[in-house]
Formats: sequence, C-alpha cells, structure tokens
Amino acid sequence: MGGEGEDLEPLFDYHRVQPSNFICIDDDDDDSDVSEVPVKKRSKTSHTVVKKDEDVKVIEVACDDDWLPPPPKVVFDKSKESGEDSTIKALRSKKMELMSFTKTVVDVMQEAEESAKKQARVSLKPSSEATPAQAPPGPINDRAKIVITIQDKSGQKQFRVFADEKFERVFKMYTDKEKLDPQNLVFTFDGDKIDPSTTPSNLEMEDDDMIEVHTKKR
Amino acid sequence: MASGIARGRLAEERKSWRKNHPHGFVAKPETGPDGAVNLMVWHCTIPGKAGTDWEGGFFPLTMHFSEDYPSKPPKCKFPPGFFHPNVYPSGTVCLSILNEDSGWRPAITVKQILVGIQDLLDTPNPADPAQTDGYHLFIQDVVEYKKRVKLQSKQYPPIV
Repeated sequence: MGGEGEDLEPLFDYHRVQPSNFICIDDDDDDSDVSEVPVKKRSKTSHTVVKKDEDVKVIEVACDDDWLPPPPKVVFDKSKESGEDSTIKALRSKKMELMSFTKTVVDVMQEAEESAKKQARVSLKPSSEATPAQAPPGPINDRAKIVITIQDKSGQKQFRVFADEKFERVFKMYTDKEKLDPQNLVFTFDGDKIDPSTTPSNLEMEDDDMIEVHTKKR
Repeated sequence: MASGIARGRLAEERKSWRKNHPHGFVAKPETGPDGAVNLMVWHCTIPGKAGTDWEGGFFPLTMHFSEDYPSKPPKCKFPPGFFHPNVYPSGTVCLSILNEDSGWRPAITVKQILVGIQDLLDTPNPADPAQTDGYHLFIQDVVEYKKRVKLQSKQYPPIV
C-alpha cells in the first residue's frame, strides 16, 4: 500500500474531491460497496452520541491529510452535511425517542397525579356529594345520629335524632307523637332548660342521654 | 390510688346517670368557671314525692365525695337551715345509708342515695333527730309541721 499510496496520492485527492458521498470510503476503494455497510453498521451501532465524535474525527484526519485546503472544504461541507444529516437524523431520532420517553414519563406522571387527585376527590366527596348519589341513607351516615331518651313522669321514650338538629324539631316530634301541647311543656337536660334553638351536639350530649319533660305549673 | 378509684367510680356513676335516672332528679358534677369538671362535688336536685306535702318542691342537695369514696359515703348537704327532723342545722343529711358505721355500702349508687333521701323527706326518722325545730314540730304539732313543709316546698320551685 505504501508504494501505491505514493503514486496514488494525487488520485487520493481526486477521490476525495469527486466522491462527495463518503470520505470513509476513500480508504477502501475496492470495498466501496461493502464499505457502506460498515458505515451503516457504525451508524446503526452508533446510536449513541459517541459515534458522531468518531465521524467528526475521521473527517478531521482527512482534513489533516489534505494539502489542498479549499476543495476539501466543499467536500467537508458536503460530507459534513451528509455526516451531519445521518448523525443529526440519528440524534433527532434519539431525541425524539428521548422526548417520547420523557413525554411518556410526563404523561405517566400526570396520569398518576390525576388519578391520585381523582382518588382524593372521591375520598373527599363522600362527605358532601358522592354518598348522596350512592344511596339515600348516605347523608344520614354523614350526619351523626344519636339516641335520646325523653322521660316524662309516666315513662321513657327513645328518639333517634341528628346530633346537629335543633331541639325544636325534636320537641315537635315528641309532642306530635304524644299528642301534647308544647306550650305546657318544658324540656330539661341536667336540670337546665333546653333552648329549642340549640342542638344535642351543642349540649355535648351522648348516645342514650336522657332529657326530661316537665309540665308547666300555673 | 384512692383518688383514682374514687374518680373512676364517679365517672361511671355520672355515665350511668346520664343514661337513666328517676324523673325530676338532677345530679351533675361541679363545673368550675374555667369549664373544668370537678367529679368530687356534685350538685343535685331532689324532687318532692308526688302525693306528699313535699310535692312541687325541688330541693337542692350537694354531695361531697372524699378520696376514700366509695369506701366511705359522700357527705350530702341541703342548704343550711333546711327544715327536716333528720337534717342538721348545717344542712347535712342524717341517714343510715350515709353512715359509714351503719348502712353505707360501697355498692350504693348515687341514684340510690338520692332516692333514699327523697324517701326520707316524707318519712322522717324520729329516733335519730338532727335539729330541734323540725323534730319538735314533727313530734308535738303535726299540723304546724305539715304547714312548714308545704311552705318550704314552695320556697324551692322548679328551676325551669
């Protein structure tokens, strides 16, 4: 190759100028057809960023070998373009892949976040919206109910009422059931008259707590 | 330990009372100005039994529990000067079941004490007098005694 190389040096230049396709091929004229495959292989195998550097180096080496700066430039441009095209394509494809990866990752993250939010909403909803839709007894579960014993002189009756329900409704329920005139009645808890506008929870009443009915005396 | 036992028992007594108690009776632990509950002192109300001269009266009674409760009974006090043969001038009730050396048993509940005192109102025990005024009238002048009892019942009308 050495002797041939000396004779072929000018040809070498021509080759470089003429075949603008591939600089790499210059080294292997006979295997030009074959050489493409390795290049492809390189490009294929070189899906990593490193490949680009190799190509660039090869070009630079060729540049050093060349004694004619101007023509190579054109070649370089073309080769660069071609090389850049392939590498850029590869890079772009990689970029796209990465982008798609990141997108998918982002999407997954967003989906996860959304689902989490939805779950949170669902878990929050039962207190206000979700349960009513599920079943009528839903709100009843939400509103704490307690059993209150109402005791008069003759006996006791138990009433199931909302803890946050005003006593005036409880009293009406009782007087309606007992057919009594609420005007003559006084309801007490722990010896204190119950304000009709208060609720069992206001009085810190507990399940089965007892309130009393007293008939007003003239 | 003693205080723990006393307070534990009193908490149970209170719990039980809230769920069920005789009509017209009140029994609740003292609540301080800061809202703190003092289980050792209870403010109660005993209604006069229907059909007696005590009817219509709602008599205030304070129960003072010691750290030795329920080994020892609570001290039960009406207002000072309360008219009854078995109530000391200080208001302290003299009743066998409230006597540590007599009828007291740790199993006796607050409810039983209050009902026992309600019974005592119309059935005084002349064998164990605690004040001269009520005792003498009860023994010597039943008419005047009944008049005094009815008068006192009106002095303690229902709070509500």
